Amino acid sequence: MIQDYLILSIILFCLGILGVITRRNVFTVFMSIELMLNAANLAFIAFSRLHESMDGHVLAMMIMAVAAAEAALALAVVILLHKHKGKLDTNVFSLLRG
Amino acid sequence: MFSEGLFYAFSVLAVLGALGLVLFRHPMRGAMSLVVTMISLAGLYSLLSAKLIFVLQLIVYAGAIMSLIIFIIMFLNIQDNDLPVEEKRFAYTAGGIVVLIPVVYFLIKIAGTIPGVEATIVGSGFGGIKEVGLVLFQDWLLPFEIVSLLLLVTLVGAVVLAGKRRVGK
Repeated sequence: MIQDYLILSIILFCLGILGVITRRNVFTVFMSIELMLNAANLAFIAFSRLHESMDGHVLAMMIMAVAAAEAALALAVVILLHKHKGKLDTNVFSLLRG
Repeated sequence: MFSEGLFYAFSVLAVLGALGLVLFRHPMRGAMSLVVTMISLAGLYSLLSAKLIFVLQLIVYAGAIMSLIIFIIMFLNIQDNDLPVEEKRFAYTAGGIVVLIPVVYFLIKIAGTIPGVEATIVGSGFGGIKEVGLVLFQDWLLPFEIVSLLLLVTLVGAVVLAGKRRVGK
């Protein structure tokens, strides 16, 4: 039972990695990161069910708080970059290239 | 038996939503399929008897975060010709799948060695608000405070970034 949940979590995490490395749309990359956070949450809850302790639930709540913070900040950055460049391509956002 | 059927239904929905996120070209469709993934993950949490996380997943993730993302996508009014050209997308996807298959195989091998438990209902208080709160405010008090500080910093940062008034223009 727990193995099935872990395998699902692994599959979702790898789909998130696939979205990050193959897409160039900044929204899709951001949502793939959210997908990876969700997969980590699922693994936490599954292990918490396995050991019948609450620590995994607390960690999942912390991940949700961090994801909410990340969403607010990342979307502010996206709005700012869209205002500057007018594009949504991650290749355009290479401001730190030397 | 019934819970197994529910598990397979929810996991198929979750994987389909994630595939839609990776494959759809427009971010609005991707966001909608990510909502499907979030809601089916909430169903999986309820199968794991995590009642509080089930509710939080629906309210915070599928409700708040996804509606924030969809709001920003609609706010920027993205048309089809605003999207970046991704002419080599399917080649990149195939390459990524080739790279990721050994990783997935290895991780599934590891997951197979973990002892499983039966799909039964655990004790009546498992995953409720009171039990999670007791653990949260006793053993995890310092991380909880640090997370609250992180939220404050993010709030200030988002206001500073998005609400900047450029003078001289």
